[in-house]
Amino acid sequence: MRFRAGISAAFASAAILLAGWQAGAHVATSNASAVTTSSTGTTGGTGSTAATGSTAAGTTGSSAPGSSSGNGTSSSLGASAKASGTYAGEAVQTRFGIVQVQVTVKAGAITDITALHLTDQEQRSVQISARAAPLLRSEVLSAQSANVQTIGGATITSDAYLTSLQAALDAAHF
Amino acid sequence: MNSQLLASPGQRAGTPPSPHRGDTRHNPTKGKFAAQHRRRMFRADLLTVALWASLAAALALWLADGGVSSVGNATQAVTAVGILAGLAGMDLVILMLLLAARLPFVDGAVGHDRALEFHRKLGKPALYLLLAHGLLLATGYGMAEGLNPVSEAVALWVLVPDMWLAFVSMALFIAVVVTSLVAVRRRFPYEFWYFVHLLTYLAVATALPHQFSVGGLFAEGTWQRWYWLLLCIGTGSALAWYRIAKPVIATYRHQLTVRRVVRVSPDVVSIEMTGLRLNELSGNGGRFFVWRFLAPGMWWQAHPFSLSAEPQVGPTSNRSSRQPSLRITVRNLGAGSARLASLKPGTKVAIEGPYGVFSTAARSRDRVVMIGAGIGITPLRALLESTPFAPGQATVLLRGSSPEELFLGQEILELCRKRGATLFHLTGPRAAHGRNTWLPASADSSRLRDFVPDIADADVYVCGPTAWAGQVLAEAKSSGVREEQLHYERFDW
Repeated sequence: MRFRAGISAAFASAAILLAGWQAGAHVATSNASAVTTSSTGTTGGTGSTAATGSTAAGTTGSSAPGSSSGNGTSSSLGASAKASGTYAGEAVQTRFGIVQVQVTVKAGAITDITALHLTDQEQRSVQISARAAPLLRSEVLSAQSANVQTIGGATITSDAYLTSLQAALDAAHF
Repeated sequence: MNSQLLASPGQRAGTPPSPHRGDTRHNPTKGKFAAQHRRRMFRADLLTVALWASLAAALALWLADGGVSSVGNATQAVTAVGILAGLAGMDLVILMLLLAARLPFVDGAVGHDRALEFHRKLGKPALYLLLAHGLLLATGYGMAEGLNPVSEAVALWVLVPDMWLAFVSMALFIAVVVTSLVAVRRRFPYEFWYFVHLLTYLAVATALPHQFSVGGLFAEGTWQRWYWLLLCIGTGSALAWYRIAKPVIATYRHQLTVRRVVRVSPDVVSIEMTGLRLNELSGNGGRFFVWRFLAPGMWWQAHPFSLSAEPQVGPTSNRSSRQPSLRITVRNLGAGSARLASLKPGTKVAIEGPYGVFSTAARSRDRVVMIGAGIGITPLRALLESTPFAPGQATVLLRGSSPEELFLGQEILELCRKRGATLFHLTGPRAAHGRNTWLPASADSSRLRDFVPDIADADVYVCGPTAWAGQVLAEAKSSGVREEQLHYERFDW
């Protein structure tokens, strides 16, 4: 009886592990292409806003002040009028890589957020940030502030994302 | 020799009855209990498979997430092993909770005490895995950031949300396992251990947030998150249902009330209780219930006691009262059970159960042997009353240091006469020369086979003090009784 149980348990466990491993190999392949796509996107974003310099400066530490650079027109129409333009937030260093976002503000509203750099130090970090960034973006767009919930399973990425975003918003005097 | 042989009516006294000797010997595929036995063994095997499969599944979660491809250097390897240790450790914790959840499937397959025994065995491995999880991840993350593990642990505590809860959880798990070590547990009263053990729920509750918020494996939108969530929710629901809801329902359903407390011997009392729908509890002779007597200062103590008689239902009862009643027989083993002797009639009683497979449910053969010592005799009394056997197919061996210690001996004698079971009384002190024996000095040279020649083809039920029962079980095994035919009830909780 015990023999039967032992054999069955060994086979079942091996099958489950094998299935998991097989699924994992599949995930890894599809991920490799995801990495390429996201890196192209990042490069494009960096080029257009000339934020490359601030990224390099910000990498030194997470305590670096928000080194945002707005290339839009800083509004001086009055206290009530909000700035319009594109602002890059501080580059936040996390254990999984650098996170930096860029915010587009138009007529006192956050209209877009682009991730310039996301956590990418491990395969999994890429996966996590690829999942978290769109969620965070839509949350921020609907809340119109950086004061939103972090994404479960992506706490570190979320925190860094929102910190960078807040720095960008501060720079925009939003 | 204080042996007393009572042959069933019509049989010659002095000859061990063995009418079908050889018929079903070593052949568990025949007989009326064969199918039941096969089902129970199948369930037990199924549990073994499920247990290992769940552990494999926990590791497969990580593999399926592309875990292997993420390991490129030493730092990532340390982190990966840390994550795997956490997954396996948490899976063991969940299995431990399920083993202690009194699931009917588990109880029916291996019995409550075996399940708890296995629960205890998993305790230390689970703690080691969780400790490894913490240490390896502090090291791995530290290596990635150029910090030593201590600074990394501090950084995790301070900077990462929910991580401080995980540290609290680790401290609680250590406290729970350490107080459960036999050496430590002996130094403290049961209540202290029990209270610390309740902290397990807090330990699990504080461990959960970081798994879902910090652990990338269970990020939002992954199927792994759903698997883990369902596992946790399922376990929590099972605990809530079987450990809280069911006992409350049973207590209200049966409305047990103490009718009277009868002194059986100077330190043993029988507690008789009346209640409603007691017929639903019949057929559980030998199984135990967890009793709480709802009197001031006693209600929080839970006592696991077996029934010492089948529930007496309806007007066919030959007792003085015609009210349905059930009975337990209790010896003063500690301060808690001592107070039971002074229970007032009318005290309400809360019950949980029945639990265990020390009953007909565990039978695999047509022949049955019951061996009991001291207060361990009382569950055998209930089993003898209810379990099916043909005249001559049952043997009862009772052991006590004096005839007065054969509790309920008179009732058992009557039952043996009525049902045609063979009964031996083994009384007197143990042999003085210190040999480990379960027999009195007067029967020192006897072997189990002398009392029951067909023991290899019988179910053997043993109930008595741990050391004594161990000797009986060892001798039964050497007499050819297989593990699955041995049924042993611990009662020194």
